[in-house]
Amino acid sequence: MTGIPKPPDARYFQMTFQLLFLSYGLLFLQWKAEWLNYILFIITGLILQWIGDSFLSKKIIHPFHWENEGWKSALISCFSLCLLLKTNHWYICIFAAALTVLSKYVIRYKGKHIFNPSAFGIIATVIITKDAWLSPGQWGSGAVIFFAVCCLGFIVASKVQKLDITLAFLITFAGLLFARQVVYLDWSIDVFLQSVSTGSLLLFSFFMISDPKTAPNHPAARIIWAVLIAAVAFYLSAFKWMNSTPIYVLVFAAPLVPLFDRIMKSVKFEWNQQAIRAKSKVISI
Amino acid sequence: MKKKISAALLLLTFATHDVFAFCGFYVSKADGTLTNKTSQVILVRDGDRTVITMSNDFKGDVSDFAMVVPVPTVLKKSDIKVVEADLFQRLNDYSKPRLVEYYDQNPCQRYYDRQESASLSEVVVKNAPGVSVKQKKEEYKVKVEATYTVGEYDIVILSAEESNGLYKWLTANKYKIPKGAEEVLEPYIKSNMKFFVVKVNIEEQENLGFEQLRPLQIKFNSPKFMLPIRLGMANADGDQDMIVYAFTRNGRIESTNYRTMQMPTSKNIPLFVNTNFGSFYANTFQHQWSQQQNSLFLEYAWDVSPSNYVKCDPCVSEPPNFEDLKKAGVWWLGKDAYNDYVNQYETQKQNVFFTRLHVRYNRKNYAQDIVFQETPNRENYQVRYIITHPATGDLNCEAGKTYLKTLKDRRKKEMEMLVQLTGKGYDDWDVVMNHEEISKEVSYAALGKKVDSKANSNEAGKGVFMASAALLGMVSLIGAGRRKK
Repeated sequence: MTGIPKPPDARYFQMTFQLLFLSYGLLFLQWKAEWLNYILFIITGLILQWIGDSFLSKKIIHPFHWENEGWKSALISCFSLCLLLKTNHWYICIFAAALTVLSKYVIRYKGKHIFNPSAFGIIATVIITKDAWLSPGQWGSGAVIFFAVCCLGFIVASKVQKLDITLAFLITFAGLLFARQVVYLDWSIDVFLQSVSTGSLLLFSFFMISDPKTAPNHPAARIIWAVLIAAVAFYLSAFKWMNSTPIYVLVFAAPLVPLFDRIMKSVKFEWNQQAIRAKSKVISI
Repeated sequence: MKKKISAALLLLTFATHDVFAFCGFYVSKADGTLTNKTSQVILVRDGDRTVITMSNDFKGDVSDFAMVVPVPTVLKKSDIKVVEADLFQRLNDYSKPRLVEYYDQNPCQRYYDRQESASLSEVVVKNAPGVSVKQKKEEYKVKVEATYTVGEYDIVILSAEESNGLYKWLTANKYKIPKGAEEVLEPYIKSNMKFFVVKVNIEEQENLGFEQLRPLQIKFNSPKFMLPIRLGMANADGDQDMIVYAFTRNGRIESTNYRTMQMPTSKNIPLFVNTNFGSFYANTFQHQWSQQQNSLFLEYAWDVSPSNYVKCDPCVSEPPNFEDLKKAGVWWLGKDAYNDYVNQYETQKQNVFFTRLHVRYNRKNYAQDIVFQETPNRENYQVRYIITHPATGDLNCEAGKTYLKTLKDRRKKEMEMLVQLTGKGYDDWDVVMNHEEISKEVSYAALGKKVDSKANSNEAGKGVFMASAALLGMVSLIGAGRRKK
C-alpha cells in the first residue's frame, strides 16, 4: 500500500504457535489425532468467512486477493477449535465452525463483534448440542509445556500489545488460587503449582482472553475486565466445582465489553493498526 | 452456564501402614503377581449425586482394620451399605486388558477356504492377572456427627475444626495414624469435609459369618466429583495403584486436572507373550506410565445400558447385568430389566456408560486429588493385544515360501512393537514356546536380538518437532529484534 515496509502480521505468529501446540499434543502428549474434525473445522470456517466478507463488502471476494485478509482470523479461530473442542460427530464440527465464524457477522455492536469467536463457538456448541466437550486436563501440567506456552504466548501477546489483559488475568487468577489453596486451605505448594501450570489456563490467558478485537478498548477498562473474569472464574471453579470456567466466563461476560467501551472511550483495535503505528513512528523520527 | 458434571467426592482409602515398598515391575520368571498395591473403587455419578463403593480385601487381623474417608456431607445410615465382594471381581474380569489369539492357515492347503477372511480366525482371549487389593487401617478426629453399625462395620462420621484435634481423637480411639497424615487433614477440614471412619465390629462380623470384609458403599449429593488420593499417600513412599470403575449416564469420565490417556491397544505382539500376558501388561503399563507421568490411563469404555446387546467384543467374561448395575449403585435404572427394555424407545434415561481408569500415583507427581468430569463421549474402547499362531503343516509350496517371508517380516514388527510397548527386549522375556518352531529363521529368538536396542519409532518425529520449534523461536526473536530497530 505504501513504500514503508510492513511489519509481519501478528496473526501469522499466532497461527504458527497454534500449530506448534497441536503438534506438541499429537507427538508428545499422544493425543488421538482427529484429522476429520480438524479438516472440517478449517474448511467450514474458511468458506463461511469468505461468504461473510463477500457479503459485507457487497462483492465476491477473490480468494487470493482477500482484502483485510479475513482468512487469517478465521484460520486462527479454527485452530482454536482443533486445540480445544472434542466431539465424535462430523456434523458437530461443521456446526461449531459455523457458530464460530458467523458469530462475528451476526452478533455485532457498533461495528465490533461482541464475542471472541472461538470461545463463543466452543461454548455454544457444548451447551446446545450436548455432544461436544472440553478436556481441560489434556495438557497436563508438565514443566516443559508450561515454559513453552509462556514464552511463545508472551511473544504473540506482546506483538499485539495486549499483554496487559493476559497479565491482569493471570495474576488475579493465580493470586486468588494461591490465597485459597495455600494460605487458607493449607495445601502444600505443589498443589497450587499444578493448578497454575496447566496448559489450558495458560493457553486461555495468552491466546483467548488476549484477543484484541473483543476486549474493551480503554486500557483501564481492559484491566478491570480481565480481573473481573479471573475473579468470577475462580469463584465458580473453587466453590461451585465447575470446569473450564475461564472460557465460560469470557463468553458470558462479553456483552459487558460494549458497556465498558461506552463508559470509557478509546480507540478501536484494528489488525493493521501496527502498520499505521509503524508508519507514524517513522515519520515522527 | 452449563452444568458440568463435576461432582463429587471422595474416597479415600486409608490404609496401610506397612505399605509395600514399590519394587518396580519386572519380568517375572514365574507367573508373578506384578501389581503392587491396588485399590478398587466403583464410582456412579449423575447430576450432583455420587455413589462410591470401596473394595476391601484387607488380609490381616480384622480387628486391625480401619479406614478414613473424607466425604462432603454427613451421611445418613441409609446412605451407607455393604455390598457383595464379587461385584468387583466381575467388573474387573469384564473390563481388564485382553489378549486375542488368531491362527494363520496353511497357505499350501488353502483351496477350499480361501475366502474365509484371509488367514485369521479368532479364538479367545486371555485375562490379565486379577487386580489384587490391599487395604488397611488407621484414623483420627473431633465432633461425632453420627455413629452407625452397618453390616460388619462400625462407622463414625466426624467433623473437625482443626487437624490436631482430629488427630488426637483418632489416636485416643486407637486408630493408628500414619505420619504425614496430619498435614493433609487440615485442607480437608477447612474445605468443610467430614470424615467417614470405619472399623470392623467383630461380633457382627462373627454373627454374619462372612470371612472376608465386604465392600462399603456410600452415597451423597455434592457437586464435587473427585477422589481424594492425597490422604492415602500420607504413609506411602512408593507408587500406588487404583482401578476406578465408573458408571455414568452420558459417556466416559475423564480427569480435569490430570491427563487421561488411552493405553495402546489392538497391537500385534509376539506369540510367546501368550504365556506371559500378565507380566507383559504389567510391563506395558509401567512403561507407558513412566513416559507419561501425571496421567491416568483409560483401560475400558463401553455402553453397558441394559438396552445395548453388544457389551464387549470379544467378551472375556460376562458383562455386568442389570443386577450388577443396581448393586453398583446405578440408581437411575428402572425396577427391572424388562421395564427398561420397553422404555428404551421413549427415553434414554436408562443409559449407562462404563469407564475403567487405571491410576498409578505417588506423592511426587500427583499433588492434587483427582477431579473428574463426565463427557458425552460414548466411543467404545478396550485394551486388546493380538497374537497370531503361525500356520502348521508342510509349507513346501510356492505360496508356503512366500508365507514364511511375510511371517518373518510380521514377527520382526511384533518384536519391535513389544519393545516399544514394554521397553523390554527379547532377552528380558521368559520365552516358553509350547510348540515347535516351523523354521529357525522365523523364530523370535533369531529376530529378537536385532530389534532389542531399537529406538522408539516416535523419536524421529519428536526430533523434527523440536528442531522446527527451535527454529521458529529464533526467527521470532530475530524478527522482534529487527522491529525494535
